[in-house]
Amino acid sequence: MSLALPRNTTRQSESMLLGDAARVLHRLSGTVIVVFVLVHVAAQAVLRAPALAGWNAAMPWLPVVQNQPWIHAVLYFSIVFHALYGLRLLATELGARIDYRRSLWIIVALAALAAVKELARYVA
Amino acid sequence: MSEQITVVAEVRRHDPSQGGEPHYQRFEVTGVDSMRVLDVIRSIYEQQAGDLAYQFACRVGRCGTCAVKVNGVPVLACQERCKPEMRIEPLTPFPVLRDLVVDRSEVETRYAALKLSPQRSCAHPGAPEPIDPALAEKLCHLDLCLACMVCVSACPAVAERPFDGPAFMLKLRHMALHPADSADRLPQALEAGMLECFNCDLCTQLCPADLSPAQAVRDFRRQMIFGKGKP
Amino acid sequence: MRDSNDFILESADVLIAGSGAAGMRAAIAAHDAGAKVVLLAKGPRRANHTRMSGGRYNAVSGANAQDSVEAFYRDTVDSGMGINDHELARILADEAMQRAYDLESYGLAWDRTEARKYYLSMTGGGTFVRTLGSIDEGIGITEVMLHQLHARSVPIRDFHMLVDVVVGRDGRVAGALALDLSRGVWRYYRCPSVIIATGGTSQLYETSSGPAINTGDGIAIALRAGAELVDIEFMQFIPISFVSPPSARGYTLTEPAHYGMRHFDPQAEAAHLVNNKGERFVLAHDPVRKEGSTRDVLARAIMIEILAGRGTPEGGVLMLPDKAVFEAFLKERPTYVKRLLENYGEAQARLEAPIAVTPSALYTLGGVRIDPWCRSRVPGLYAAGEAAGGVHGANRLGGSSMPDIQVFGRRAGMAAAEEAKARGPVAAADGVSEARARAAALEACMQRSGGMRPVEVKKRVQKLMWDHVGLVRSGPKMEQTLRAFGDIRSQVLPAIKVTGASRILNREWMEYLELENMLDIAEAMVASSLLRKETRGAHYRTDYPELDPHWTANVWVRREGAATKVERHAAARPGAADMQPNEQKATAQ
Repeated sequence: MSLALPRNTTRQSESMLLGDAARVLHRLSGTVIVVFVLVHVAAQAVLRAPALAGWNAAMPWLPVVQNQPWIHAVLYFSIVFHALYGLRLLATELGARIDYRRSLWIIVALAALAAVKELARYVA
Repeated sequence: MSEQITVVAEVRRHDPSQGGEPHYQRFEVTGVDSMRVLDVIRSIYEQQAGDLAYQFACRVGRCGTCAVKVNGVPVLACQERCKPEMRIEPLTPFPVLRDLVVDRSEVETRYAALKLSPQRSCAHPGAPEPIDPALAEKLCHLDLCLACMVCVSACPAVAERPFDGPAFMLKLRHMALHPADSADRLPQALEAGMLECFNCDLCTQLCPADLSPAQAVRDFRRQMIFGKGKP
Repeated sequence: MRDSNDFILESADVLIAGSGAAGMRAAIAAHDAGAKVVLLAKGPRRANHTRMSGGRYNAVSGANAQDSVEAFYRDTVDSGMGINDHELARILADEAMQRAYDLESYGLAWDRTEARKYYLSMTGGGTFVRTLGSIDEGIGITEVMLHQLHARSVPIRDFHMLVDVVVGRDGRVAGALALDLSRGVWRYYRCPSVIIATGGTSQLYETSSGPAINTGDGIAIALRAGAELVDIEFMQFIPISFVSPPSARGYTLTEPAHYGMRHFDPQAEAAHLVNNKGERFVLAHDPVRKEGSTRDVLARAIMIEILAGRGTPEGGVLMLPDKAVFEAFLKERPTYVKRLLENYGEAQARLEAPIAVTPSALYTLGGVRIDPWCRSRVPGLYAAGEAAGGVHGANRLGGSSMPDIQVFGRRAGMAAAEEAKARGPVAAADGVSEARARAAALEACMQRSGGMRPVEVKKRVQKLMWDHVGLVRSGPKMEQTLRAFGDIRSQVLPAIKVTGASRILNREWMEYLELENMLDIAEAMVASSLLRKETRGAHYRTDYPELDPHWTANVWVRREGAATKVERHAAARPGAADMQPNEQKATAQ
């Protein structure tokens, strides 16, 4: 067992800026979720409300979009990433000591897993 | 024995006192591959551009005055290894004095306004002041901040919101933990925009002294929620 | 002078040049004594030598019951080989601890073993475990002091280089001329007292540990203003410093890695040093203390190996560190472990592989000759810290520069404030025309087109100093060097050109000003080295390799017109000067 050395900070401009990546991903995933909810509400409305039936006809692309597997994968990734990263932020502010590098990769991995699982459902 | 390499550096040149637009000047520098960005800048000055304005003093990551942006990322020029291709620019968002040197007077004004010396309610005893050894160690670590402004330059919250910057949070935390300081540092941290921090740890990643201003912000936020001040 | 906008008149009670700890401590003391203080920094205020130091601080704290103020004083004088100003050495030993408490009151947290007990370690040359330290090192010391200046609203002028001190017709300081590099304008400060706290002259050497700004400006300015220098031939070289990368070459690796277990125990062995044949060459120089010998002996031993071609290809020797101290080293000096990791690699950082080291110029032992209240020979002109001489003699204890700058920084500030109060404001016209003339003369190089660039000449001076007036000196080589300096002064200097036309942060212009100062000091150093025909401490002459009791004496240097005068003065007898420091002399604190 060896003691941890201080970090070597001589290649700062070559590494990925994790904080920037996480922040951008958090915002994008949030946007995806909001857009999904809006689309979902719109879709349900035009399907269920007879008064809006005319609109349904005007949106022939909607079922096509809804049936794209990759869109579901993006959605699942976004939901899992956004939830876990948000929880991580909260936890650290309440005093939990979480390594920002490792936790980010774990969260990305988990979100990707959810996305792959969703994709697999369509492929199968 | 070290290998020789040739690097290409594009350096931003601008003299605001003369007006005109900033431009990038291209230089080739050959040297050992362990060269730091500062070695490249010094070589440019010594061999190719005697009129280049740049700043450094200690050359070993202690004075914090050589900070520049390399390929868009704020770094200490004396610590960062040279790259085959690099664009060297002055640290943003500070006013440029000339070429790679920025004016830090506003930074100093902010430090001064934060009153970062212990606000003592009684005088120092003139004997070892009782400080727990572990706390003393922690205080020292917080005081290792170079004030190089790398974190302030990188911080996305500073760019977007009314936030003084990570470095100031670290110094406030240093005082908040200091047993001799009687001032309440939380309101100061709030005033300086502590709540604007995204908690993204970009400052932690880029700090050349290996400190975490983001952790200082988190400690303040926890203090705000749970009301725990000094340990 | 292009126009009057380039020459600005200001005033102060006490003008301090230098933003290191000596300057800042002086500013605190002078401000607290009621003076209107202005502090000039050549670069940004954080660019100073104190910040680069390991911050190790010799003081008798009481944590080691065996140690005493008397022992600290004796160690200082022994290490200085008897030529210290004994009165100054006594003051250093007496007041160091009070100033350490001052730093703690400013917010510095010294390393502790218990809440009220400081952690002590050994440094080079001491006989007792005595040295305080803190993990934040020189960075912490300068930060807490800087915030004290902020708290007092002392104006700090960044990028202001002191150019000359002007002495009035009454022989007293009338003011000082500074160049505001950030705007390219001259500022003349009317002031009755000026404190030189500009640090040392390590930039005179090719390989040096200090910051790029340590070009001895203040010492040269004091010499030109009529002050005397003392023992300026003594330059301390640190044996253990980085070989690469190029930017870090010469920076000290500090002593814990070298001292190994000796760091905690005076009887233990220090890390071995070997040449490229694997021989422990230090044994031939000091068979008793071996690698635990003083800095001067080690540095010279290493240099001789390198000159004899027994060094590594990069120009160093190898240190075999003791990995048993790694854990303590990591805890106590994380920054140094980080530097080893970044500059050399993980094995070296863990003290598991040989570390390449080279000697480098660290500390100017001589400097402006001062009395116990930091007064120079010129009324109103003070010096403190590395710019002053006499405290450490021929060799300095590791860890003694930090208390030196605190103790004498404060004394300079108090005395200068008192002088300003006693004398009142300087007459309005005094010195202004002299300052204008000087400024105009220093503009000439901006207009020239031919000639050499300052950086080329600077490198030539550095090479000459390193080769002939460094660790190994000899009469003929130094005579030759002195002639070379004369040529540079008469032929090269008047024809130096500055490439850029901009007045803003014109580095070549600044280097031209520095070069004049460097040349003044270099000549003084060679002249006094030539006079001192013996080997003592940091001064080693191959033609006079023995210590000579006749030379238990100081060399004083002064300017008479354009000529440099060097004189031998017997060192003050210890007994006579062993009085307590006279606190009543100054008013404050």
